[in-house]
Amino acid sequence: MSGDGIISTTDLNLWYREKHALQSVSMRIPKNKVTALIGPSGCGKSTLLRCFNRLNDLIDHVKITGKITFDDHEIHAPGTDVVLLRKKIGMVFQKPNPFPKSIYENVSYGPRVHGVRDRETLDRIVEESLRHAALWDEVKDRISDSALGLSGGQQQRLCIARTLAVGPEVILMDEPCSALDPIATAKIENLIEKLREEYTVIIVTHNMQQAARVSDYTGFMYLGKLIECGKTVQIFEHPAEELTENYITGRFG
Amino acid sequence: MAEKFHTELKHLRKETVAMAQFGRSMLKDSVDALVRQDEQLAGSVVARKGDIHLREVELEERCYQLIALYQPMAKDMRVIACTLKVITASMRIGRYGKVIANIVREIAVKPHISHTMSIPHMAELVVEMIDDAITAYETDSIELIADFSTRDDTIDALRHSIFREGITHMMEDPRTITRCTHYIMVARYLERCADHACKIAENVQYMDTGERIEIH
Repeated sequence: MSGDGIISTTDLNLWYREKHALQSVSMRIPKNKVTALIGPSGCGKSTLLRCFNRLNDLIDHVKITGKITFDDHEIHAPGTDVVLLRKKIGMVFQKPNPFPKSIYENVSYGPRVHGVRDRETLDRIVEESLRHAALWDEVKDRISDSALGLSGGQQQRLCIARTLAVGPEVILMDEPCSALDPIATAKIENLIEKLREEYTVIIVTHNMQQAARVSDYTGFMYLGKLIECGKTVQIFEHPAEELTENYITGRFG
Repeated sequence: MAEKFHTELKHLRKETVAMAQFGRSMLKDSVDALVRQDEQLAGSVVARKGDIHLREVELEERCYQLIALYQPMAKDMRVIACTLKVITASMRIGRYGKVIANIVREIAVKPHISHTMSIPHMAELVVEMIDDAITAYETDSIELIADFSTRDDTIDALRHSIFREGITHMMEDPRTITRCTHYIMVARYLERCADHACKIAENVQYMDTGERIEIH
């Protein structure tokens, strides 16, 4: 992969009890690019994604070996501030999960937790984050209304705004469009296109056309292994590995 | 769904091979008709023009439908990209057959000059290239097209030789001008058909390996 790497893994292994879910994964995520992870269900793509901000720490009986670095720092090193790590590496999940609070409170929640108290600063962060998430124009007149009244697509963009509000460098997206209709999906995809200018995006998707549309680089995973990783155009036009070829042409998976 | 797509892709490829063979037979029959001065055979080639055009439209339409409905990727995408090129090349080859068949009608009344020079030999080599290109497309056998560059050079040399021989005859006897000009034109059409075979070969290489090559 070309470009500066922001995250890289070296010989990363992960076990859920006996299950060897990630097997010797070594990859580099380029900065300010969109990297897609594709592969059949259970191949380990979400597990890999959750390694990047140590979300797997919250699951019992997980064992990890190997190295993950973010900005040249080993993220499992003793003394790593996991809260700070998750601030820098934000995450958007499959199903929109806004807090049962107002739109404003959803977005301002993160900065407040991180100590921002000044109302004007919070107002500015909320507006900027909603603008970045391409939601501001749709919600500016009902910013105090409950977030639960938004449509699914709007809720997902709100979750993205909530992630942006704490000033991350990397945004992890785990199937961010799988619960959305095609129009809402197109809006999120357009948003991803814009986000790459300022952020590094890593997206897990089962929709190969989506991976092809939105990403610069694609990694194909199968049974816990990273089979192939390269430029998206190359992966979808002439992949190097037969397994990748068979998967993306629908011969299995 | 993938299974349905692959079945349709297989059928598409099979029918594209049939169309390519149809275009090839138009070319071969037209040269046979020219050499034997067989106006009836020439007439049958001209009559096939409508048929090849219908096949072209129908097969292209199916390529577009497969792209629209299934968004193919990797080799599946390359097969369709190559198929579209094979369809166009086959149509052109067939159309050159029709043009040669029209010449047969114009010059059949007078005997040939120098047994149509090297046209039969040149046509044989061109048809062999077309056959190999079609088989390579049908069976993914890129080894069949490995020497296309050299074979294309031979075709170019033959066209040049026919051109020079024709000029010589025309200078010696102006009454041969019409026939020799037609021979030179036929040599030019055959050379273009070899170029179309090369185009098919280039695309088969891409289809099979993802690698772009240029055959000069």
